[in-house]
Amino acid sequence: MNPITFLIDNWDLYWPGFVRLFQAANLAFVFAMIVGVIIASFRVSPIPPLQRFAAFYVTIFRNTPLLIIFFLFFFGLPKLGFTFTPFTSTVIVMSLYTGAYLSETVRSGINSVDTGQAEAARAIGLKFSEVLSDVVIPQALRTVVGPIGNLYIANAKNTVIGTTIGLFVETTAAQRLANSTGLPIAAYAAAAIFFVVWLLIAAQVFTSIEQRVAIKR
Amino acid sequence: MSSVLTEDLGPRGQRRVQIANWISLIVIVALIAFVISRIAATGNFAPELYEQFTDFDEGWTQFVIAGLGNTIKAALIAMVFATVIGFILALARIAKNPVSRVLARVYIDVFRSIPLLLLILFGFFGIQQFFDISQLTGLVIGLTLYNSAVLAEIFRAGILSLSSGQSEAAYSLGMTYWQAMQLVILPQAVRRMVPAIVAQLATLTKDTSLGFVIGYEEALRRAGALAQAPPSNQLQAFVFAGILYFIVIFALSRIARRLEVRSRKRYGAAKLEGGAGLEDIDALGEEADEDELAEREQEPAVSA
Repeated sequence: MNPITFLIDNWDLYWPGFVRLFQAANLAFVFAMIVGVIIASFRVSPIPPLQRFAAFYVTIFRNTPLLIIFFLFFFGLPKLGFTFTPFTSTVIVMSLYTGAYLSETVRSGINSVDTGQAEAARAIGLKFSEVLSDVVIPQALRTVVGPIGNLYIANAKNTVIGTTIGLFVETTAAQRLANSTGLPIAAYAAAAIFFVVWLLIAAQVFTSIEQRVAIKR
Repeated sequence: MSSVLTEDLGPRGQRRVQIANWISLIVIVALIAFVISRIAATGNFAPELYEQFTDFDEGWTQFVIAGLGNTIKAALIAMVFATVIGFILALARIAKNPVSRVLARVYIDVFRSIPLLLLILFGFFGIQQFFDISQLTGLVIGLTLYNSAVLAEIFRAGILSLSSGQSEAAYSLGMTYWQAMQLVILPQAVRRMVPAIVAQLATLTKDTSLGFVIGYEEALRRAGALAQAPPSNQLQAFVFAGILYFIVIFALSRIARRLEVRSRKRYGAAKLEGGAGLEDIDALGEEADEDELAEREQEPAVSA
């Protein structure tokens, strides 16, 4: 069966799943930005314990399979007396995981700004907050837009793993339909259509932002 | 201390750093103490919960050897297929023939934007409609579809990163397209991309854990099965599975980082264009930047 007609026939099941996924992924990405900036500022701070903590955090989250982090959070933490709903768990896990990647991107963005820029800013008497907000961040942002766009896409795709702990996303809908109709190919292809459309649009948006902020030389 | 933001601190700044040092240390220690006290209070330090992981006769053969063995088996098979198909796709993507270019581009863009979980479900349940395939085959198909698309972009970036003088020189010697590719372009491009390829293979190993969803008996599923048995120790089992995976993935990503730093010294920084699925490779470049920075710091400043 054609996946597009399949999608239209089963729209009532797919659409709520997609909306849920969209909410979880975007919410997680916003929190991941916050986590990323905090961890990155730990990493560039002159305080050794914070640097170590940030490095440890990034290493752990980058080198452990996401599925295991999900399981630890959803099945492991209740054993310690903390219980969260699947939606909350997904948002928290995704923001911690994507935050680890974002912190690296933010840090390398800050480091990509020439030291002379900040020195010059200090020399003309700008305060630390002014150096950061008027000189360093505007320049750092330009190099960082591309990688952040990639992380947005990766985050969106990874959020689907929430289905394994019982979050109802469109992949869950596809799994149920594959079982009930016996047409797994159409069911999964229909779920994939959402991603191809969503992420192609997201990629376009990020590319145009990147072009807009690029330094014209 | 050579972040852009800070310079050498004066006496007042140093005092502040000292204070912040102590405060953050206390907070971190308090956090660790809290976690440990939670684990103790809920009885999760009970020794019988850990017995399975120290039982080298049964627990280890069932869980560690078999589970991790299955993980590595699936990862290795998928690596071979993904690398070969990715390589062919990259060649098709830059070929002169417009049909092959468009087809390769569609393949790469589509499979990079579909979540791997979906591809694995598709690879197993979809193909099971026609052929009776095992979970291993389904997992390998899913991993290969996704990673071949990502690796194709890596190979392509490597080829494009070479100066056009290389191919021009080859053509002016009278080489054909394929001769130039084989003798001049590919040897250099592949060598340059080895670190990125290894980093992607680390990601592939990480993603092997998704075989769980189709019932492939990798380390995580074995751990879950172990935790189902009487001493219900899901927390401990998943932590243990996480450590197993961590060791393998961390080793691979360390190797990638070493290679990246070394190849930068030789060929200069070949900046990769990132893209969907390349987040670990972005991170690899960033880490190597940091290593370079640290190395520069260690060198005594003579010129000043």
